[in-house]
Amino acid sequence: MSFGWTLAPPAPVAGGTAIAAGLRQLRTFAASAGLALAVPLLLAALWIFCARYSWIPDQILPAPAAVWQTLREGCADGSLRDATLISLQRVLAGFGIGAGAGVLVGGLLGASRTLRSYIEPFFLAFNQVPHIAWMPVLMVLFGIGEALKIILIAWAAFMPAALYALQGVRDVPEGFRELGRALMLDRRATFCTIILPSALPSIFTGLREGLAHAWQALVAAELLASFEGLGYLMAYGRQLFQLDVVLAAMAIIALIGVAFHVLLSMAETRLRRWRLEGAQ
Amino acid sequence: MIDSLAPSATNALEISRVSKRFLVAGRPSPVLGGIDLRVRDGEFVSIVGASGCGKSTLLRLILGLDTDYDGDIRIDGAQVAGPGLDRAIVFQDHRLLPWLNVRSNIAVALRHSALGKGEKAGRVDELVKLVGLERFAEAWPAQLSGGMAQRVAIARALANRPRFLLLDEPLGALDALTRLRLQNELLRIVRQGGTTAILVTHDVDEAIYLGDRVVVMRPDPGRIAAVIAVSGAESHDRSAPEFIRLRDRILALLGVVRSEADASAGHGLAPVA
Repeated sequence: MSFGWTLAPPAPVAGGTAIAAGLRQLRTFAASAGLALAVPLLLAALWIFCARYSWIPDQILPAPAAVWQTLREGCADGSLRDATLISLQRVLAGFGIGAGAGVLVGGLLGASRTLRSYIEPFFLAFNQVPHIAWMPVLMVLFGIGEALKIILIAWAAFMPAALYALQGVRDVPEGFRELGRALMLDRRATFCTIILPSALPSIFTGLREGLAHAWQALVAAELLASFEGLGYLMAYGRQLFQLDVVLAAMAIIALIGVAFHVLLSMAETRLRRWRLEGAQ
Repeated sequence: MIDSLAPSATNALEISRVSKRFLVAGRPSPVLGGIDLRVRDGEFVSIVGASGCGKSTLLRLILGLDTDYDGDIRIDGAQVAGPGLDRAIVFQDHRLLPWLNVRSNIAVALRHSALGKGEKAGRVDELVKLVGLERFAEAWPAQLSGGMAQRVAIARALANRPRFLLLDEPLGALDALTRLRLQNELLRIVRQGGTTAILVTHDVDEAIYLGDRVVVMRPDPGRIAAVIAVSGAESHDRSAPEFIRLRDRILALLGVVRSEADASAGHGLAPVA
C-alpha cells in the first residue's frame, strides 16, 4: 500500500477553477510548442531554399517534396509501415528487457554498499565501451539473427538505466532513511514510501537516456546486420543513392523517438504531481 | 548519587554514564563523556548547550537510532535496543516526505498502529486539527510555510501517542514570531497529552519557558554542567526579573556571559565560539 503519492486528490490550495487552470495550461503549452517549433521551421525553410535553388545537388539532398512523396508511397504500399513496425518491435523488446533489468540491478547496487564496492568500478569501465563496439563480439556469439539485435539494444538500454537507478537509490537523503527507522517502517514500507519516490526522478532520467541509446543501437544493428527494418532501409537507400528513402527513415525514427520521450515525460509528471503543484 | 541499578518508579527514563565517540578523521573523538540523567514521567526537560556539545547525539541515542555507546539508557528499567513507538522525534528540518501530502505524511507514522483503516483516518483528522492545519490537510509540503511544516512534523510525531516526545531543535529554523507561537502550542500539546518531552535547543529562553528542568551541557566532551529546576514564577513571564536572572545564570554556565558568581568563584569561563 502506498500512502497516496500517486493517487492523492489534487491539493485545494492550487488556486483557480479547473477551467481557468486548463486554459492557463493550454496557453503555456502553445507558447512552448511555438518556441520549440521555431528552429525546425527555420531549418525546413533553409532546406526548401537549398532544394529550389539547387545549392546542393538533388542526389545528395533531395527536395522536401521528394521525401514527402517517398513517405506517402512507403506508407501506401506498406513497405515503410512494415519496416517501422519491425524496428519498433525490436526496440520495445530490447528496451523492455534491458531497461527493466537495468533498473533492477541498479537499484540493488544502490541499496547495497557491499555489492557496490564489488561491482561499481567494473560497471563504470564497461560503460566506457560504446555499445556498438560490442557488435563484433556479439555477432560471433549470436550470429546476425534477431537475438543479436535484441541483445544489443537491451545492452544499450541497460547501462544508463542501471547507472541512474543506482545513483537514485544511493542518494536517497540520509535524513529520510533515518526517519524511516525512527518510524519503524519495515523494508517494504521503506521502499514504497521513501526509496522509490526519492529515486524516481533519477530512474526516469535513466529510462529516457536508455531509450535514446536503444534507438541508436537499433539503427546500428540494422545497418550492419539486417534485411528489414528502418536501419536496413537506410542502408539500402544509401547504396542505391536514394537519399529520399534515407531521410524518410530518419524522419520516422525522430518522430517515434520524440513520441516515446513525451510518453515517458507524461508518465513521470503523473507520478510526481506533488512537484508541479507544490511549485505553484 | 542515586543508585542507577534500582530504577525508581517515578524515573521513566534513566541515562547512566553514557559516553560516545565518533571517528573524526580516522581517530576517535569523544562527543559524550559520562552523561547521567533521570527523567520523570510527564516531565518537560530542556537541554541547552552550544553546537557540538553532543545534545542532539544524546537524543539519537535515546531514540535508539544509534546503539553504539558505553553506559546505559533504560526505560522502566529496560535497556533501549532500538527505535520504538513509545518514542517519537521531531527533527530540526521537518523531514516531511515531499511526495506525500499532509495527511499522508502523518499517516506514515501509523503504519504499525493496531487501529483499523477508518480509525487511522480519524486519528489523522484529529492530529491535523490538533495542530490547526485543517485547511491544508491535502496540501503538499512544498506548499507549506516553515512553521506549518514543523506543525505537521509534530503531528506526525504524536500520531502513536508516544510516551516520550524527543524534540531536536524543532523550532530552530523558524522566524522569531512563529517560534514564539509554536512554543505555546508545543506546551499546550505536551501538557494535554501528558507526554514526557525532552527538548534540545540552543535558545536559552526557549529552554526556560518550556522546561520543568533545564539541563545545561558543555562541550569537549559533551557533559552535563548543571541541572536547574525551573519554578512556575520563573518560566511564565519572559520579562520577569526571575526569568532574566535564571537566563543569565544559564548563559554564564554556558560561558557566554560572566555572572558575578563566576567572577567571584574565579572560574574564568571562556566565551563559547
